[in-house]
Amino acid sequence: MQHFLIYIDPGSGSYLIQTIIAAVLGVAFFFKNIVLYVKSIFSRFTRRK
Amino acid sequence: MGQELPTPHLASYRDPSGFIFTYKGEVYRQVNKVYQEDFDHFISSGLYEELVSSGLFINHQQLPENLTGSDNWHTTLKPEQLDFISYPYEWCFAQLKEAALVTLELAHKGLGHNMILKDATPFNIQLHKGRLVFIDSLSFERYKETKPWVAYRQFCETFLAPLALMHYHQQPLQPMLVSYPEGVPLTIASRLLPWRSRLNLHTYLHIHLQSKVAAKHGSKPEPKGAFSRQKLQNLLRSLQTLVESFHFEYKGTWADYYTEAEQRSGYVPAKKELVNEWVHKLTDVTTAVDLGANDGSFSEILSNRNIRVISVDGDHFAISKLYQSVRNQHNSIHPVILDLSNPSPSLGVNNEERLSFIQRTKVDVVLALAFIHHLAIGKNIPFERIAELCKQLGRILIIEFVPITDEKAQLMLSRKELSFDWYTEKNFRKAFTKHFTIREEKGIGDSSRKLYLMEVK
Repeated sequence: MQHFLIYIDPGSGSYLIQTIIAAVLGVAFFFKNIVLYVKSIFSRFTRRK
Repeated sequence: MGQELPTPHLASYRDPSGFIFTYKGEVYRQVNKVYQEDFDHFISSGLYEELVSSGLFINHQQLPENLTGSDNWHTTLKPEQLDFISYPYEWCFAQLKEAALVTLELAHKGLGHNMILKDATPFNIQLHKGRLVFIDSLSFERYKETKPWVAYRQFCETFLAPLALMHYHQQPLQPMLVSYPEGVPLTIASRLLPWRSRLNLHTYLHIHLQSKVAAKHGSKPEPKGAFSRQKLQNLLRSLQTLVESFHFEYKGTWADYYTEAEQRSGYVPAKKELVNEWVHKLTDVTTAVDLGANDGSFSEILSNRNIRVISVDGDHFAISKLYQSVRNQHNSIHPVILDLSNPSPSLGVNNEERLSFIQRTKVDVVLALAFIHHLAIGKNIPFERIAELCKQLGRILIIEFVPITDEKAQLMLSRKELSFDWYTEKNFRKAFTKHFTIREEKGIGDSSRKLYLMEVK
């Protein structure tokens, strides 16, 4: 029944590409979050000064 | 007495979850049995309530009445009725961008209630009372952790591709959506985008890489591995970052029209006063179309009198400016980009899915100010054809006649080698009085231009 409701074609390779992109984004956001964390510590430090 | 039957909407055939129909002049939506569990979860999870209260979703009333008599019936919805439907190829960049962000916000909020958007197309979003609202009440399904986003490709082709093309080329490319109402295929978008677009990680992943993978993947089976909620959230976050980074600074021809027009001694104030005076005298008027609306200052006169106005202009910049000013104003102005010498055609299956601009526009008042010379002289369109256009749109016409001696008409003529000896007020009156009766006529201030108030015969 669930398949019946998937009425739009997700597109050839759409699930594969999402898996690849999610892997790349996982790494990118991991480093971005570290950078943001370091920046927030730094800005807290400079604000205190 | 013949009983009126519910008529299914011709664009509402794709989704087996339900369909739209009109009944006694109002729009309804049937929810089919097959979608029952998803719909009930949509309501009971509180997602519907949350989306409506945040102004992102159309409000509906649930009726326990099977109006269509269908065996597949679960429930009937009567959504808040919309004044006018416009299509993405009539929107400015800012509207398409905002519609993309609304779609992503909905997908994100849905996840919070264990639901996911199963389709993502700009046709599901409409400008209503100055806000962009999602109008398809059957677009959410229960989220299955492990599944990627089924509407991902659709989002990329209908939103990302046209936005990216406009962002990277800084050209108003929304008319290409007439050819691609279901989205610009990624292989085409990828080829049309400049090479530097690959330097942006998100553009590279969602457009270029996706296009490459899709082409190579062919009909091979999809991977079976799990796709976590975190991965889906990362995907949505990346799409949001990308859409937010897109900008469009295009300046059109008519950007400074009114600033310049104001300098022509009292012309604009005199015209405003006259339009105001005539509109005040009209009775039973609730809707209007403003042809060549520019910055919408005349649409505003009508809107201030509680008239809902469709403001049309061919200039992307003018409509973009107008869109920004009506956003969040609880305004009844609906800005539309349209070339009136080539209005949006009817599209889709049997040419019945998306209606043409003329089919959608049936109003009380047609405002055609500083407009006729653009079609007649600029595009060589005879007065008769322009009169037919106006007649098809509404019953009352307020039209400005710009004589051939006018500075602007002369400027247009200087670029033409044709003879325009037919462009006279006498011929104008002759063509328009075939369809209209002239109620009033008056010169505008000290200018040689004249305003007419006409009514369809």
